[in-house]
Amino acid sequence: MSELVIEASGLRKEYRTRRGLRVAVDDLDLAVPRGGVHGFLGPNGSGKTTTIRMLLGLSRATAGRMRLFGEEVPRRLPHVVDRVGAVVESPKFSPNFSGHQNLTLLARSIGVPSERVAAAVDTVGLTGRDRDRYKSYSLGMKQRLAIAATLLKEPDLLILDEPTNGLDPAGIREIRDTIRGLGESGVTVLLSSHILAEVQQVCTSATIIGQGRLLASGKVEDLVGASTAYRVGVPNAEAAARVLTAAGFTVRDGDGLVVDTDRPAAVTETLGAAGIWLDELTPVRRDLEAAFLELTAGTELGGDR
Amino acid sequence: MSPRLLRVELTRLRWRRAVILLVLLAVAIPAFIGAAQAWSTRPVSDDEIAQVAREHAGEIDRCTERPRQYGMPKGVSEQRCTDLIVGWYTGREPLSLAQQRNGGSGMAVVAVLTALLLLAGTTFAGHDWNSGSMSNQLLFEPRRRRVWTAKALAVTVVALVTATVVSAAYWLAMWAVMRARDLPIRDGALTDSLAFGLRGAAFAAAAALGGYALTMLLRSTVGTIGVLFAVSVAGGVIVAVLGLSEHWQPQKNVSAIVKNGTTYWVQPPPSCEGRPIRADDTECRGERELSVWDGTGYYGTALVLTAGASLVSFRRRDVP
Repeated sequence: MSELVIEASGLRKEYRTRRGLRVAVDDLDLAVPRGGVHGFLGPNGSGKTTTIRMLLGLSRATAGRMRLFGEEVPRRLPHVVDRVGAVVESPKFSPNFSGHQNLTLLARSIGVPSERVAAAVDTVGLTGRDRDRYKSYSLGMKQRLAIAATLLKEPDLLILDEPTNGLDPAGIREIRDTIRGLGESGVTVLLSSHILAEVQQVCTSATIIGQGRLLASGKVEDLVGASTAYRVGVPNAEAAARVLTAAGFTVRDGDGLVVDTDRPAAVTETLGAAGIWLDELTPVRRDLEAAFLELTAGTELGGDR
Repeated sequence: MSPRLLRVELTRLRWRRAVILLVLLAVAIPAFIGAAQAWSTRPVSDDEIAQVAREHAGEIDRCTERPRQYGMPKGVSEQRCTDLIVGWYTGREPLSLAQQRNGGSGMAVVAVLTALLLLAGTTFAGHDWNSGSMSNQLLFEPRRRRVWTAKALAVTVVALVTATVVSAAYWLAMWAVMRARDLPIRDGALTDSLAFGLRGAAFAAAAALGGYALTMLLRSTVGTIGVLFAVSVAGGVIVAVLGLSEHWQPQKNVSAIVKNGTTYWVQPPPSCEGRPIRADDTECRGERELSVWDGTGYYGTALVLTAGASLVSFRRRDVP
């Protein structure tokens, strides 16, 4: 069996609009390994939701191949769908049914016992409100119900499209902890999000796309890159800058004095030789936001695809 | 077909308040029509006769004095004039199953059941699209043909059961009223009426399926109602404008199905002009028979085409 839970190659989605052909996803390759939380990043309109919808059989790919658990989708989707839980875009349930009724119908459609409905409701903290009509729910409660629906299957793969939208800070933290816990328990989670900090905090690997194309993919620390700059704390920054520049270092203003180098020992040695003693020498790490902005620079913004 | 999915869809139907309301109306309105028919055909009571005689005493006197003006022979008794005048003002035909089938409330009940159950099928499917919950359902059962079929079966079963029960109850009630009034009932009249009701129920169930299929195709309750309204208004007009015979009129075909055949009129050929027309010369009388199978073919074709397009569209198109 494949070690990749999600595989897509040459994925393409075209829409015919009044203005002509619009390409939402263009020759996209996607590989999500088994286990852990995989981030799926891209600016609005970059094709994240379209890709997820194609993987789940809601949308038909114009070209390309997709596999879930090694099974070709959408042709073999019925064989793996019981292992996949998903929330796509905003939660969508019958507004006049209660949360419990909505979940019961979904559970019965796959032969899941009703006890699991109560357990899923409890997991997302909706106990007590699950008998209220869905239309009376806040956005955060709707999100929780959508996540509860995914848990009905006890999935091996969880695909979450912006799952913390509309949640309050406590709710966001709770959902993040849940996602992290699921990832650690062996469930593979594909987390589509525009909140970069969320991806950096929760994800072990990530794929970044822009304009429907793959821009980068790999472990989060690889995407962020190794540190090649150090912040230097000294009593006299101006003098230190002169000394370091004279010694051939590239010095710039950042949050304090920043030296671009992969030889921090040489910085201490140079400054020590000039009689300048260091208070601080801290590696300046590029965060995912920087990597993301760098990779997606120039990609246009629009409605999410 | 998955029995599990069918049970889920039947539960979904049962939980939909709009559907429940429409089903309740499908029971209540025929009950009201039946009660109205029973009331409007009630026998004239002695009290009513006395009241009319009192209210129209002047007219009874005029009838007695100048009976010819009232089509009566000279010297007619006051009692006969009273019977005549009372008959005018209380004139109610006794209840008759045949009359109810051919020109009375029978077709009205079928029309009510058809309209309400068609709306039930439409709103059931439309709700899934309007709320966006269809995509959620497909995340649990991606075999779209199964989903479409389970929903279609649920709509058809509920519509057929409702329409059959209501129709049977309606005609049994009419029969019971006649029996209670000691009115003569022809042998086989009840069977004919129940068959009429069953054909009407089948038509109403097919309409519910049609409403469902069209909504699954258009993905909008409002769109479906708009199309059906346009067809009901423009359908007859188009048939007339195109110069097609009554054979193609939607209403004639409904009558053919429910009444187990009907007749329609066509322009007699020029060779018939100026010659005496015998009663059995249907060619020159311009009368044609439209059988129940003609009507079934007419609506069956429309239903199969709509359902086919709906299923193909549902299987192939992206789901929002």
